[in-house]
Amino acid sequence: MLSTLELSPQTLDADAPVRIAVKNLDFYYGEHKALKNINLDFRDRHVTALIGPSGCGKSTLLRIFNRIYSLYPEQKATGEILLDGRNIISNNVDVNELRSRIGMVFQKPTPFPMSIYDNVAFGIRLYEKPPKSELDDRVEGALRRAALWDEVKDKLKSSGMGLSGGQQQRLCIARTIAQKPEVILFDEPTSALDPISTGKIEDLLEQLKADFTIVIVTHNMQQAARISQYTAFMYLGEVIEFDATNTIFMNPHKKQTQDYVTGRFG
Amino acid sequence: MAAVTDQMAPGAHVARKTPKGTFDIVFRNASFLSALFVLVLLAGIMLSMVIGGWPAFREMGLGFLTSSVWDTQNDQYGALPAIVGTLSTALIALVIGVPLSLGIAVYLTQLAPPWFKQPVSTAIELLAAVPSIIYGMWGLFVFVPLWAAYVQVPLSNIIEGMPIIGTVLYSRSPSGLGILTAGIILAFMIIPFIASIVRDMLDQIPSVLRESAYGIGATTWEVVRHVLVPQAGVSIIGAVMLGLGRALGETMAVTFVVGNANRLSASIMDPGSTIASRIANEFNEALGLQLNALIALGCILFFVTFVVLVIARILVARVKAF
Repeated sequence: MLSTLELSPQTLDADAPVRIAVKNLDFYYGEHKALKNINLDFRDRHVTALIGPSGCGKSTLLRIFNRIYSLYPEQKATGEILLDGRNIISNNVDVNELRSRIGMVFQKPTPFPMSIYDNVAFGIRLYEKPPKSELDDRVEGALRRAALWDEVKDKLKSSGMGLSGGQQQRLCIARTIAQKPEVILFDEPTSALDPISTGKIEDLLEQLKADFTIVIVTHNMQQAARISQYTAFMYLGEVIEFDATNTIFMNPHKKQTQDYVTGRFG
Repeated sequence: MAAVTDQMAPGAHVARKTPKGTFDIVFRNASFLSALFVLVLLAGIMLSMVIGGWPAFREMGLGFLTSSVWDTQNDQYGALPAIVGTLSTALIALVIGVPLSLGIAVYLTQLAPPWFKQPVSTAIELLAAVPSIIYGMWGLFVFVPLWAAYVQVPLSNIIEGMPIIGTVLYSRSPSGLGILTAGIILAFMIIPFIASIVRDMLDQIPSVLRESAYGIGATTWEVVRHVLVPQAGVSIIGAVMLGLGRALGETMAVTFVVGNANRLSASIMDPGSTIASRIANEFNEALGLQLNALIALGCILFFVTFVVLVIARILVARVKAF
């Protein structure tokens, strides 16, 4: 099993600054404690993968970083998540502004009911009022970075809903990067896509890490091994092991991690 | 037991009969006739309305649509005040009712805490079930006196002599009855319909779409305005058209509060009449040409609702095409 994993080349920079520091984080759905005492560091301009069996809390953790959980009054987080030294789960954070700095791409493509151009421009317009020509440039730039420009440049005014699933997901990535966020969260971004579209998205992630700090939740271990520099293995709401991706997959320290990455459970 | 096993054995063929052909034919024809019944019914109603109204159209010609005379002594009839009253009360109902309905639906689906959502949702269902005559009685005995005393009289004193507003909102006889009153009561009646349909539609939007709109930093208003409402667009238009259909044809409640005056007034505070209220008021005693004129009014109402339906279809098709 291990031999079938193609590991990413060791490009991690152990001295990269910590962008997001999670300290003593607990999370509750009502009375149910879903995350227990999470401590993790996410390094600047690296891809960190969160892996683990269904229900281990990896998506739950991801949804805390941009406060999506705040939409649901019964969900509650305690502890600290420091983004550049500021605790983003405290009550006096401007949640909307935070979300414009921490973008998120979801499991399923979520194009908005508007044209392809407006989908990408929507996020920019929320916080900036650039002149038309600059807006055009940024929309084009974002679509190019999302490797979608050539496919949609002739139909920018048509609906984003008319694109294929893979194109829609790249549109959502373009929409996210157009806002120039610092961190991008990916919640199983390829789970609804075919292998070819998945390959395109993975190539994209490889390029995006030059500019963004990326956290990706995936149930696909090969994917985690291919695209990430760091990996956290989670189980039953706890981080079992967190290390460089190569270490997690080649010689993990915990038996549970070993069992999971070799496919013995999960 | 042995017989059963024999029959079950793969080799033992049992002669199968196809289902009875005769029953299938009866069933098909019965369902076809049921569908045909709707067409026959519609054609029958249209035909009898046109035949009944024809003498009035023939006597008055196009003048029936443009005249505002309603003179039973000299058998002169014109439909204009009733047509204008019907359209203006329905329009007022939409102007008041649609924003309120959207507000209710958005609040219930996006913002309301669960302990508040349930009672309001139930109240909406109950309001939709209140018979229109109750709205009419409540309008006449409760709303109309309050409206006259606290809105029409003070407002008329303030705006008297002002340009435009002084005409449109001035009430010459502040009785509380009038076109605006009828529009408001109609708004109350269509709000539960529109609100509950729009609420259901917003509830059906996948939460991941809503989360991704919030996820790029949009405020609640921006999420609702730019993502959720356009996403539910077709159904919202459908709900509004359903409400408009009800407002155009509503009879009892309007007859109670519209004032039943056959005159055109520039003020929406003045009494007027609608097609349905005119028919309800006069049908009992109508004879001869007056009866034909009332049926002709019915034809016009039929036509107006039909046009509304067509417009709704066109709008829905357009939104869907995008």
